[in-house]
Amino acid sequence: MSSIPASSFLLLAIILFCIGLYGALTKRNTVVVLISIELMLNAANINLVTFSKYGLTPNLTGHIFSLFVMAVAAAEAAVALAILIALYRNKPTILIDEMDDLKH
Amino acid sequence: MTHSFILLALILTPLLGVIALQFIPKDNYTLGKNVGVLFSGIPFLFSIYIIFDYFQDGGLTGYSITKKWITFGNLSESPGHTQTLYKVGFDLGLNGFSLLLVFLTALLCMLSAYASIKQVNYAWRLYFSLFLILETAMLGVFSAQDIFLFFLFFEVTLITMFILVGKWGYEERAKAAYRFLVYNALGSLIMFSVFVYIFVNTGTSNIGTLTELIALNGRLAPEGMGFSDETRSVLFLLLLLAFAVKFPIVPFHTWLINVHAQALPAIVMLHAGILIKMGAYGLIIFGLGFFPDQAQNYSFLIAILGLVNLIYGAMLAMIEDEIKKVLAYSTVSHMGIVLLGIAALNEFGIQGAMFQVISHGLIAAIMFYLVGKLYERSETTVLRQLGGVAKDMPILSGFLLAGGMASLGLPGMSGFISEAMAFVGLFEKEPVITVIAVLGIIIAAVYVLRAVLAITFGKGDIMKERKWKDLSFTEALPAIILLSAILFIGILPNVFAETLRPAIELILKGIGG
Amino acid sequence: MIHSAWLIPVLPLLSFLIVILFLRNKPKLGSLVANCFSLITFILATLVLVGRLQGDSLLREWNWLEVGSTTITLGFEINALNSLMLFIVSFVSFLVNVYSLEYMEGDDRKSIFFAYLGLFTFAMLALVISPNLLQTYIFWELVGLGSFLLIGFYFYKDSARAAAKKAFIMTRIGDVGLLIGILLLFTQVGSFEYDEIFAAVRNGELIGSVITASAILIFIGAVGKSGQFPLHTWLPDAMEGPTPVSALIHAATMVAAGVYLVAATYPLFEVSQIALTTVAVVGCFTAIFAASIGLFQKDIKRVLAYSTVSQLGFMMLALGTSGYVAGVFHLTTHAFFKALLFLAAGSVIHAVHTQDIEEMGGLNKRMKITSLVFLIGTLAISGFPLFSGFFSKEEILISAWTSGNEIMFFIALFTAFLTSLYMFRVYFLVFTGETSEASSHAKESGSAILVPMLILAVFAVFSGFINTHWFGTYLSDFLLEDAQITVKETHAPTWILYAATIVSLAGIFTSYLLFGKNKTKFGESSFSKSPVYSIVYNKYYIDEIYDAIVVKPTRLFAAGLKFIEWFCVGGIMKTISGCIQFVGWIGSRLQSGKIQTYGTIAVFIFALFILVYGVTNGGLLK
Repeated sequence: MSSIPASSFLLLAIILFCIGLYGALTKRNTVVVLISIELMLNAANINLVTFSKYGLTPNLTGHIFSLFVMAVAAAEAAVALAILIALYRNKPTILIDEMDDLKH
Repeated sequence: MTHSFILLALILTPLLGVIALQFIPKDNYTLGKNVGVLFSGIPFLFSIYIIFDYFQDGGLTGYSITKKWITFGNLSESPGHTQTLYKVGFDLGLNGFSLLLVFLTALLCMLSAYASIKQVNYAWRLYFSLFLILETAMLGVFSAQDIFLFFLFFEVTLITMFILVGKWGYEERAKAAYRFLVYNALGSLIMFSVFVYIFVNTGTSNIGTLTELIALNGRLAPEGMGFSDETRSVLFLLLLLAFAVKFPIVPFHTWLINVHAQALPAIVMLHAGILIKMGAYGLIIFGLGFFPDQAQNYSFLIAILGLVNLIYGAMLAMIEDEIKKVLAYSTVSHMGIVLLGIAALNEFGIQGAMFQVISHGLIAAIMFYLVGKLYERSETTVLRQLGGVAKDMPILSGFLLAGGMASLGLPGMSGFISEAMAFVGLFEKEPVITVIAVLGIIIAAVYVLRAVLAITFGKGDIMKERKWKDLSFTEALPAIILLSAILFIGILPNVFAETLRPAIELILKGIGG
Repeated sequence: MIHSAWLIPVLPLLSFLIVILFLRNKPKLGSLVANCFSLITFILATLVLVGRLQGDSLLREWNWLEVGSTTITLGFEINALNSLMLFIVSFVSFLVNVYSLEYMEGDDRKSIFFAYLGLFTFAMLALVISPNLLQTYIFWELVGLGSFLLIGFYFYKDSARAAAKKAFIMTRIGDVGLLIGILLLFTQVGSFEYDEIFAAVRNGELIGSVITASAILIFIGAVGKSGQFPLHTWLPDAMEGPTPVSALIHAATMVAAGVYLVAATYPLFEVSQIALTTVAVVGCFTAIFAASIGLFQKDIKRVLAYSTVSQLGFMMLALGTSGYVAGVFHLTTHAFFKALLFLAAGSVIHAVHTQDIEEMGGLNKRMKITSLVFLIGTLAISGFPLFSGFFSKEEILISAWTSGNEIMFFIALFTAFLTSLYMFRVYFLVFTGETSEASSHAKESGSAILVPMLILAVFAVFSGFINTHWFGTYLSDFLLEDAQITVKETHAPTWILYAATIVSLAGIFTSYLLFGKNKTKFGESSFSKSPVYSIVYNKYYIDEIYDAIVVKPTRLFAAGLKFIEWFCVGGIMKTISGCIQFVGWIGSRLQSGKIQTYGTIAVFIFALFILVYGVTNGGLLK
């Protein structure tokens, strides 16, 4: 098991995070943006678990924290989708760059 | 304890009114306005109590509250590190000058709330809530004994006033409100930086302590302690600039003209009556109190500024053809006399300045009250469209004329006392400026009579269209109260002079005169 | 009695307050109440004068205002000059009150009129008993207020509005001079009290230039109130007020306040020859200047107004030539006969409803008593022998002559000639000759109008005898007893008496030839086309000149300031608001509302931070 170095996990996390960031910043479809955010959160989760196992003092804190993050992420996604649906009723679009009503 | 409770109650009761207002149904304006007026009037009762108490015991020391508010600093005893302690207190207190201003505030708030009943047509709950918050803040400004508390209250007046001007009033009210906000926020910014500088370098923000510390350090402290002369000069000039906006000193006065012309007359009563007096109050308490030597060095500058205000305001008041603008410029002109009194830096001058602050508060209030009443009937304030009002409305015209006479400094009324004292005070020091300033009172007569007579005298073609109702007794009541106060100061000035004396002596102690 | 002298001004004040507060809409009751108060005031003033004649003097003061170590007092003082003035003012005021009962009949603001009369009388009485300069100034302004209110009584007339405004502002110009003089004296002496100021002058504590300056400044105040050149223009316009007001304020009392002020502060003038000369020159010039205008005016009240200005000039001339007694004497007699003339003129106007003397004529058949009293007044003002004006004018001529200034003496003599000329012009045109159309329906006035006039007529005839070289100089002895001035023994040549008589008679005779026999009417004669006539008839275009050199430039200046306000101050404002708006604009550009843009910027800046941190090896953060 330990044949896989920690750096591989971190590399995976970086790649996931960058994909998520790219998606969050460039995609116009709000649902895709939400998915991208999930990607970034999961990248963070990988980091947490990695350091939990390979850190200076390995313990279970990181694992538990990642569980929390998942729970929060789920809640966040649920709230975000609810807001999105509410918005969609008022303004039939899911394109994020058209949701700038607070500005105007 | 009871005394300090009364002071606290005086300041905070309007806030109770704000809470009470939130429970009144939206369509019950009758109840709402009554609650608003009632709560705006309670501080007046308290202030009367304090004044009577003051004349019986002759002391105001009981009316003070000192509470720790914010304390921070570095008390660690690590070597090579000086200990610091910063204290910001919730300190309230009164002296003779602020007592009179508190009284004036409470009185004008009550009358202004009463006057606004007919002028507020929409969003009355918001209006009266803001009004009461404004009242608390104004009372707080005059009783704060801590520069940050002062600043806090000062800013609250700014924000509430901004909304009060911007939401209710005449057509260009939004523009006026923004000008008001921008100018005054800049002034506040400068004031705040001065306060912070002083605070950081002294560690205290109590006004009394600072007065002793800064004012007397200049002369008593050993080398290297306290602020250097240059620093003090810069700080003084910055304070002058900060309060110049509020004062207002020409050329920072345009916002005032706009507010006077665009806000509701009831709000202008408060604004001209009290809010701009905070500038004069600040300049006297902080400018003269903290930096007496610098005030002396720059007294010529202040006198010139005062003269410019006096003449400039009077000249423009002479050619404006809208009564509210005439009154606005007359405010500019009158505040010039406050500056002239301050520039004199002797008992006569400072007393004159303080009298003028109070007297103009009353005069501006009565004039705007009457203009408001006039507008409710005529729906115009342009002089050319008015005339002959005395025919149908002799009582309103009589009050208008009386207010005008007070404004042009007729003896027997409050304006004369303040002008005369300021001039007497200044004459010793700057005879030439005084002589020019005295000539200014001719122009005062010209613009006051021009405006007042244009409204009241004459054939009055506008009057022929319909019969106008004169002031009823309840409508005249505020004017009666204000006029009595004006006459009282004019006839028995010593009552006020005695109240002011300790405050003046304190300031003069700093000046060393 | 003299101790309650403070009641004298307080009573009219009460009358004012009671009438204006409670009896505003009850003309009958209001006017009666005012008359009662006025009568009591008059009785009290008479008692005080009697008390003073027996030698009581009084000075009582109360603290009014304490400033630092200085205490300013208010109080009252009874000395010879004060008590005399008290009597004159309350007397004329009472008679005018009675007169107005009938004159103002039918005006629905009658009560207000009486209230204003009370206010004015209060201020005037308080003015004359003031023991210090500040108090004098206070009431000095208040009489101005009373005058202003009464001139503007017919507020619906535009001319009344203009006249009231003009009166207030013109006198205020003078007041400012007075105020500066007071300030100057206060800074030098440290007190407003007359006594202390005079003591300082006597003890030589004041340098000459200060005395001269303050005396001239005080005189400027007097010039404003007494309608002396160059501040005289308001007085003729003030005739817009009801005629009883003109009699009381603009003939007998307030306009004489200037003369009174100079007399009250005489110790200051006395030690400064420059100040005295100024007073004399201004007085002398005003006398002849106003007389010449009065000669050509058509409005009966305006003729009387200019004659008032001219007579006040006479008084000033007397004071300026060390004729303290002569000035006060003429003030006294003038108060009676000029009030009489105005009341008689009022009676005429009441009857014929016009003020143009060229439209009147032959009234002596219809208004016998009015005609008689007017004749008495005219004779008195012309200095007809044994009438009151004869004695007082002679005193003035003597004082002008003995001061050694022959030019002024002859000007004064010529003015005396003009006086009888133009006054009799009025008499002849109004009362003699054919009955004109306007006069044909005239009826004699009622007793409330006639009785006051008859009483005044008695005084106009006999008041001169209080100070004559034949029967005794009672007034002179009385006044000089406690006036703090030095009296120069003078010897008046007797020919002055004859000269004055001849001049007066010559004036009357010329007037008879011109206006009595030939009924010359300037308005219709060919003379009206000549430039001299138009210049004088238009009052030497003084109003127009003021308009051109004072009013217009001031307006221009104000307009210039308005431009500055708009351009510079507005410019500053626009710059400030422009800056703020610019900052706001930048902020609003950055804040597009597009969350992804914000995120991108954040990411790139974060990356930049990391980069900088890496490159500098954390150097920037150390």
